[in-house]
Amino acid sequence: MKKKETKKTFNENLNRLEEISRKLEEDNLDLEIAIELYEEGVELSKICIELLKSAEVKITELKTKLNNVLEISDEDI
Amino acid sequence: MSEKNILTVGGLTKIIKEILEESFPSFSLIGEISNFKSHYSGHWYFTLKDSDAQISCTMWKGYNNYVFFKPEDGMKVIITGKLTVYPPRGSYQIDIRSMKPAGEGELQAAFERLKRKLFEEGLFDEVYKKEIPSSPKKIGVVTSIDGAAFKDIISVAQRRYPLVELVIAPAKVQGAGAAESIVNSIKQLNLHKDIEVIIVGRGGGSIEDLWAFNEEIVARAIFNSKIPIISAVGHEVDFTISDFVADLRAATPTAAMELATPDVNDIYMTIESFIDNSFETLLEKIDFANESLVNVIDSYGFRQPLDNVRRKSQQIDNAVYRIENNLERRLIDYKSSLQLLTSKIDSHNIEKTLKKGFVLVTQQNKFVLRGEKFVAGDSFRLKFFDKEIEVN
Repeated sequence: MKKKETKKTFNENLNRLEEISRKLEEDNLDLEIAIELYEEGVELSKICIELLKSAEVKITELKTKLNNVLEISDEDI
Repeated sequence: MSEKNILTVGGLTKIIKEILEESFPSFSLIGEISNFKSHYSGHWYFTLKDSDAQISCTMWKGYNNYVFFKPEDGMKVIITGKLTVYPPRGSYQIDIRSMKPAGEGELQAAFERLKRKLFEEGLFDEVYKKEIPSSPKKIGVVTSIDGAAFKDIISVAQRRYPLVELVIAPAKVQGAGAAESIVNSIKQLNLHKDIEVIIVGRGGGSIEDLWAFNEEIVARAIFNSKIPIISAVGHEVDFTISDFVADLRAATPTAAMELATPDVNDIYMTIESFIDNSFETLLEKIDFANESLVNVIDSYGFRQPLDNVRRKSQQIDNAVYRIENNLERRLIDYKSSLQLLTSKIDSHNIEKTLKKGFVLVTQQNKFVLRGEKFVAGDSFRLKFFDKEIEVN
């Protein structure tokens, strides 16, 4: 269960949270469903906050191929 | 003149070459570029001229790499170089080592020309501007990996949106080959489909430092990028060509990063407000449900069964009452009709009449009430008050 949740990206979780928030505002929503949604929302909130607190910026460096313009060969000088 | 003093073409040229090259080993010259040609080999060939004369120039690839702008016909430049003689053609030319614009006005004019050209081609049109995603997972960065700009970008990422992954495609952002390097990096990042936005830029600097961002090839690479690009060249007042063609312009790399990422504090607030609001909403729903339940219990519909019982018992009562009434009335009716009959019977009391002396005649068990009904010869009975007589 926990594993499955963490597989979702932060954005997916946050979007789902916003969706739940919207749904909860609906007037003719069954109370059982509202409670289920609320529980899911609280769980998602926790996951999101944990993700945010533990997140660190990841930096990847692309190894760009040297542009041939940068090559300076002596034969030209 | 003896034969000894006769020079060969090669010999003379050699002397000329020596004299000229030794006399002009290094000098600076101002002139206007014409007939500019950038050969596919990377070498530049052109003429420098003024109103009085002109002179051929070459600038080898190894040197022209260090020219931060692309020369154009009509541009006034100051060059440094040396004079060389090319014996096979008997021509002399300047071998240029460095070149700079003769004034800022020259660069400005080149800038305006390119801006007008690209504008007319539609590269700045709003219709081509791509939308910048609000919370990208991966942001591509084209800048110098050692520069302040990249440090600023990382620090904004950490502060605002630590979930992001920065993919840096290191680029030379000033001097020789900067424009090509930027173009190359933009193309490289475009090979990574999961990169949602690219920041192309550098920190502030002089017009020369920033010139790569005014080059046509950079403008076209930005325009052709499939991934939205935010230009982030550190200068508050002036624009570069890159700014016009980019999907969004930021005044600094820091500002670009702020435009490309959501603020983590806003996200916390969203989550907190979810918890607060949703809990409130849920409580309201529970209250409402409670109220609804009470209302249902109190409702007409829910009271129906009891009312039904009450109504039925009332109906029964009514019925019983009606039945009782009916019976009573009937009883009374019976009684009265009985009385009536009794009195009628009384009034016709035969016995009384017979007592008075009248006689009843019966033939065939029927009273004979009229003489004409009497059948003479048949037997009959006479009923007196005291006795009956059979007459045959």
